[in-house]
Amino acid sequence: MAKATMITFLLAGIFAISSNAMAQEKAKPDEHDHSSHSASQASDPAKDPAGDHVHDHSDHSDHSDHSEHDMSHDHSVDHSEHSTSTESAEHGDGHHHHHMDHDHIMDHEGTMIMGQNLDKLPSSCKSISEEVEITVRAGRKYAAKFPGTIFAFDQQQWNVKPCSKVTWHFINEDNVRHQFMMHGLPKYLYKYGMFHLEVTGPKTVSGTIIVPGSDDTFLVHCDISHHMEKGMKAQLVVGKGAENIPSIPGVTPYNINDTYEAEDLPKVSDKAGQNAVVRQITTAFATNNSQNYLMMLIGALVGLVLIPLIRKIPLRKKSD
Amino acid sequence: MPIHIFIAILTFCMMSSAVIAQTSLKLPETVKVDPAALNSEPPCDPKIAPAWREAQEIEGIKIEASPGCSPDNPAWIAAAVKGTNNISMDTLMKTGLSPDAILLSDDLDGDGDPDRIVIKLEIMELNGKSPDFPGVLPTFDIAPGIQPGAWVFAPKTSGMSTENFESVRANPLLRLPSPVIRVEQGDIVQIVLENTHYFPHSIHLHGVDHPFSHGEHGGQDGVPQTSEVELMPGERRIYQFQARQPGTMFYHCHVQTHTHLAMGLAGMIVIEENRPNNWLQTLNIGGGHVRHPSVAVKEKFDQEYDLHYHAMDKELSGIIQKYNDPRLIAREMNQRYDITDSTEDYFTLNGLSFPYTLRESLIIVEPDQKIKLRLLNSGGELIAVHTHGHHATITHYDGVEHNPVAQIMRDVFDMAPAQRLDLTLDTTNDGKHSYGEGDWLIHDHREKGITTNGMAEGGSMSSIVYKSYLNGSGMPKVSHFGIDLREYFTKEYYERRFPVWQDLDEAGSLGSPAGQSGFDAATQASLLNSLYGLIIGLLIYLIIAKRQQIKQSAMGIFSRSKSQKGSANNG
Repeated sequence: MAKATMITFLLAGIFAISSNAMAQEKAKPDEHDHSSHSASQASDPAKDPAGDHVHDHSDHSDHSDHSEHDMSHDHSVDHSEHSTSTESAEHGDGHHHHHMDHDHIMDHEGTMIMGQNLDKLPSSCKSISEEVEITVRAGRKYAAKFPGTIFAFDQQQWNVKPCSKVTWHFINEDNVRHQFMMHGLPKYLYKYGMFHLEVTGPKTVSGTIIVPGSDDTFLVHCDISHHMEKGMKAQLVVGKGAENIPSIPGVTPYNINDTYEAEDLPKVSDKAGQNAVVRQITTAFATNNSQNYLMMLIGALVGLVLIPLIRKIPLRKKSD
Repeated sequence: MPIHIFIAILTFCMMSSAVIAQTSLKLPETVKVDPAALNSEPPCDPKIAPAWREAQEIEGIKIEASPGCSPDNPAWIAAAVKGTNNISMDTLMKTGLSPDAILLSDDLDGDGDPDRIVIKLEIMELNGKSPDFPGVLPTFDIAPGIQPGAWVFAPKTSGMSTENFESVRANPLLRLPSPVIRVEQGDIVQIVLENTHYFPHSIHLHGVDHPFSHGEHGGQDGVPQTSEVELMPGERRIYQFQARQPGTMFYHCHVQTHTHLAMGLAGMIVIEENRPNNWLQTLNIGGGHVRHPSVAVKEKFDQEYDLHYHAMDKELSGIIQKYNDPRLIAREMNQRYDITDSTEDYFTLNGLSFPYTLRESLIIVEPDQKIKLRLLNSGGELIAVHTHGHHATITHYDGVEHNPVAQIMRDVFDMAPAQRLDLTLDTTNDGKHSYGEGDWLIHDHREKGITTNGMAEGGSMSSIVYKSYLNGSGMPKVSHFGIDLREYFTKEYYERRFPVWQDLDEAGSLGSPAGQSGFDAATQASLLNSLYGLIIGLLIYLIIAKRQQIKQSAMGIFSRSKSQKGSANNG
């Protein structure tokens, strides 16, 4: 009796724990990514080193070699530390839009820099720890290495030191719009906590931010409908980082997974390597295939049933 | 002793069966749904500024008044007429359009309007699955709580796909239907498709005079089996034409057309007659009232409306809500979805179903007006649009003018899939053109056309409403007839959880019955039967178990009677 009650309690306990865990799992995806950037300073630092993608090239040679594209969009907009004006080549019709206020710079083709911060130190920083330039490439071709995605950045994670000043060179290699949109930055420095680069490719846009002084992880994505869902998602890890962002291709698992079942696709082996004899035999088997196997099965069963009878026959003779 | 218990059980059973029989004489009460329990939306969307309804001038562009509850953003109209390249940054910022969305330039024929037109379209998904949270995004409701997965051609936008970074609701430019495109006869038009979607697509310009192949841009009939390969995600293609004939035409994706068209990649394209100083509203986002009509239309008509009828199958639109992996979506749509087994569930007018059609697809008229209606059916079946209170004249079939002498008046307009009709609605009260002022329904007379997933009232129905029947917020004035439309503005209604007729009378005689307090008749009968069985069983058990006693008592009675007899004999 005591045993039974103990087992019951144990089961109840397990159930409670597991249901709690399930509830947590359910609760997590409820927070939409745009806001989910929980400020929790939990451990679980991202291990994947991405230091080698943080290079210090000052010549910007990366984003001036798009001559293979015939579209006349080949002028880069550079907003690194020394420039706050938009430089762009003439457009055919001579119409220009240069929208400029503190937070929002846009040219006549929709190339956009929002939330750039060149000089305002976060309150958690005494000085800029280092200045780095990071080149980010975006396009369909970078999705090839992640099955089940269509768009991607060339890297899915970048690591920088707290208080570093980061200049992003965002190279869009597709012929459509893409965005480099970062969320969760301190709102007293960045409107809506966002830093945002946007450009129709093939073209480059650059912008600068100063990251906070504490360890944190920031969502980076393209907000064009279903670009993030279909792969264009990454994270910026500051220092040791905070909680990982979910569903980043190759970095973190999806919160909600599709169920997969393989299709019965035609295979070469179904067809090739059959000589005439083999084909004859196989076709003989193949025709009324199930019927053949059924008859074989019946035969085997009959045989099994008959074994004791056959063994009994000589015994009877002896006893007679 | 056991006999006593047995008798007690028997009496209890008799009593309880009597009680049950008594309660079954009265049927359950009617239960009314408390309006406070419903997720009510205001009939008129409060997010849209009433100032947008007024006649106004932006960037020198005259914009007609549009007294409905959700008129188009006037900045959109200014941008569509002047081009995003010719307006101030201030106006542009109010549109959400990309600065290169609509490029108008070069008055080639010197008649005072631009003749080189570049329109950039992107392809956006609405209500698709997310791997991050159990919901869809960006959301677009065609009716309260109804969010079918859809794809649309959208004017090239700038910034986020959602309203803002905290919302999952789609940016207002990303919506059903694909926008109405308006260009002039003889314009050199480039429609630039920037495929922002994760699937291959194309544009077929149905009815528009376009060359099969263009020297610079290659094949451009949009058909992957005849003129060009599919335009892959992340790629751009230019469709260029110079239309020689005017008319109401149709554009749609021609890749896996049997699914892509129904998913929403279909829109109206109007080639307007060439006139001097003819600055056109290049895009009519969301269709409906044309607030800056062409010179030719203004010559003959007081108003113009674009009415795009469409239909969607929930099984098809549900595929992008079931899977996130594009390969699974492709397999499900291309190899498993069978259109020959499909049925249409959602019927929309300008991308919305009733009651949202009342917000932005009312045809708002005044007496003695001539109104041009352009109709397109992009659904998979024939529709039959009925105009209550009016007979309208068919002037054009598929963009081509019908012989003016032979033009006919009807009140039901049958339209094959992909068909376009131009109608002249005359509001002269003569008993034929119009029966007078009112809030007259306009609806698809296939009765499923007035349902949303089979739930009436829904579907593509709207109204031809006279201004005298419009209330201050731009909705039809119906309350003086005792009509209350509020129940339609709840998602519970379309979830089939609202008893449609509960408020028709005080007693709620056609409301929803409560569940039975006891058991229903059939359960009662079977319970009683089992009870009787139990009693009979007990009886038999008792007889068998106590047969010795019974025997003895029987013997006793017998012997007693015998001895009584005996004694009597003796006595």
